[in-house]
Amino acid sequence: MKWQANRHLRRSDALAEPVGSLGIAAKPARHLSRASLVPALAPSPAGPAPGTVARGKPLRAALASLVAAGLAAAAWRLSGGAGGTRLALSLVFGALFGLVLQRSRFCFYCQWRDFLVSGDPRGMLGILAALAVGVAGYAVVLGAWMPDPSGTRLPPDAHIAPVGPVLALAGLAFGAGMAISGSCISAHLYRLGEGSPTAPFALLGTGLGFVLGFLTWNPLYLASLSEAPVLWLPRHLGYAGSLALSLALLAALAWPLLRRLPAPEPRHAADPLHAVFVARWPVWFGGLAVGALGTLSYLRIGPLGVTAEIGGRSRQAAGAFGILPERLEGLDTFRGCATALRDAVLTPNGLFIGGLVLASFAAALVAGQFRPAVPSRGQVFRGLAGGVLLGWGAMTGLGCSVGTLLSGIMAGAVSGWVFGVAMFAGAAGTLWAGRRLGALA
Amino acid sequence: MLRKSAFLFAVAAAVLLPAAPAAAQEPATKPAKESAANSSPLVSTEWLEKNLDAKNLRIVEVSVEPGVFERGHIPNAQNVAWHTDLVETVSRDIASPDKFTALARRLGVDRDTTVVLYGDNNNWFAAWGAWVFAQYGLTDNVKLLDGGRKKWEAEKRPLDTRTAEVPASTFTAQAPSGKLRARFADVLAVAKKERDEQILDIRSPDEFSGKIIAPAGIQELAIRAGHIPGSVNIPWAKAVNPDGTLKSKEELKALYAAAGIDGSKPIITSCRIGERSSHSWFVLSRILGYDARNYDGSWTEYGNAVGVPVVNLAGTVWGGK
Repeated sequence: MKWQANRHLRRSDALAEPVGSLGIAAKPARHLSRASLVPALAPSPAGPAPGTVARGKPLRAALASLVAAGLAAAAWRLSGGAGGTRLALSLVFGALFGLVLQRSRFCFYCQWRDFLVSGDPRGMLGILAALAVGVAGYAVVLGAWMPDPSGTRLPPDAHIAPVGPVLALAGLAFGAGMAISGSCISAHLYRLGEGSPTAPFALLGTGLGFVLGFLTWNPLYLASLSEAPVLWLPRHLGYAGSLALSLALLAALAWPLLRRLPAPEPRHAADPLHAVFVARWPVWFGGLAVGALGTLSYLRIGPLGVTAEIGGRSRQAAGAFGILPERLEGLDTFRGCATALRDAVLTPNGLFIGGLVLASFAAALVAGQFRPAVPSRGQVFRGLAGGVLLGWGAMTGLGCSVGTLLSGIMAGAVSGWVFGVAMFAGAAGTLWAGRRLGALA
Repeated sequence: MLRKSAFLFAVAAAVLLPAAPAAAQEPATKPAKESAANSSPLVSTEWLEKNLDAKNLRIVEVSVEPGVFERGHIPNAQNVAWHTDLVETVSRDIASPDKFTALARRLGVDRDTTVVLYGDNNNWFAAWGAWVFAQYGLTDNVKLLDGGRKKWEAEKRPLDTRTAEVPASTFTAQAPSGKLRARFADVLAVAKKERDEQILDIRSPDEFSGKIIAPAGIQELAIRAGHIPGSVNIPWAKAVNPDGTLKSKEELKALYAAAGIDGSKPIITSCRIGERSSHSWFVLSRILGYDARNYDGSWTEYGNAVGVPVVNLAGTVWGGK
């Protein structure tokens, strides 16, 4: 365990950016206990060593406030133009999402790895909490928008994808990409804001993976996707039935996890500012926030998703280089993180991602978790290789862990569940193989 | 104590007063306004906001972008998806009488109901809806919201996300009237100068000249570029003010007269698939009162036909030179 933890610290940035208190670089020794794998949940000294805290803190806080003010000003400016409400709101939701992800370290792969490697189920419970809140929230919204779900129509732009072997393959590839690069796309985005040395390469790889996805799209579409059924639970079960089934499935998944909870830790009367801006938020709290944000975002703009912009821009670039197939069969008729060509400079999803990264940067600054580093060769390689798999999986699966899994399951799409199962299986298999080969921590 | 109650009174008055005159006005002004609306094929955003709850009024949104209606529509509006509700989804045709009957009943629309259509994209598809409604005999009672969704939003008028519940009507559609629709043979006859009619092509100048076959990103294409012989080109957007409202009747008359279209001959409007041209059809037919038909086959039918006369100013061959 000791060896693992140390090794992990050196080799992967999945969890290797330990959330020490107030930016004191965590000493490896602190990482030996299970609890400290989720450091903010670990008993942290009520007040960290005063000398280290003070150093640079006002400067960092000032810089973070400046970023926050900049975001607010940008939102205010955007909201003035025609159709600007959507853009401004996308920026705000993106910033909130970035804040929640950074503060609670809401990262699909890290939670899964925490559970697999160190047996800590709390992160996975956070993901289930996000889904439960979102499933209920979506049911409320959808019930108002489409009182009768039984027809042939699907709710507007909900992420409901065709279910078939291609979706499972996409999930497996995405999962493998998470394990290799250290996290999923949304987590790479918030880590970009933390100065992660891997994230830029993983995101670059994601763009390349998208192009690869475009190149393999037509054969996959003709062989399988065009015939794959688009399954939406409320159409068959009604909203109440779909809600009950989804919550029951989530409860069934939560049950074994709840039995493995670590012993409760003594509560510390923490300073509220410290609790919000410095200590890690409990993942269940992040999950509730993600579920609420997912619902609000669907109500006002569209389902949460982080790959539409990456995919759209990759498509644009690939088109400019002339390597895109002349026609992507049927692609633009599917729901999901549509990779429609971008004709505007500012798009809702682009602003969402911009807000996410900048808010994460500001939050990391305040918490002392902004730690840029010169990337090692291994980080560059793992980022690019994992990123390509992430991109291919997200393109082929019409979204990522956020768009297809979270937003899909929330909307009652069977595709969300299938992608989720495949993704976690792909990540677990790759992690297992990688650890055996000594290539992954 | 006194000050507090005075304050409470002021608050109550501020809340209640604005509602009072409106309530008092309503019965007196409503019939007058409705009759004002009856004479025009357009209603203003202001009129619509005042008549949102009028009993015999149905508000229908026909937008292109999915989710626009659901995230906020004009209160009491109902949603129509143009590409499934107003067409046959397998064959290329307007909705059949059965399908249109079901739609009209669901919307609670009858022959004496005032219908206000509106939508995104400058009312393109709302106008297309008006053209379909008109073929089923719902003509003078169907109006467009001048400026469409864009103007309503720009004026920060209220939006609602709840579903309107209206009683179903008993409307039954007869076979559609052919008088408002031009077919391929009609257009070909004009192209061959066998018939003295005018064709108004509302596509972009580059599509008209044959430089391009369709706007960028559009997959539904034609094999040949250019336009139907004898047609004139006035892009649809020229009929619209910057705020999305239609230009005044006089301005519109002058706009089309400059291209030789003055209503003295029957007119056929045409574009790529026939939806943008229904916008110009609405202007010519409903606002200027000209004898106009919409050619919904448009360039995707004509430009694919074998052996028909074509004018290709740009000399494009297979989309290139």
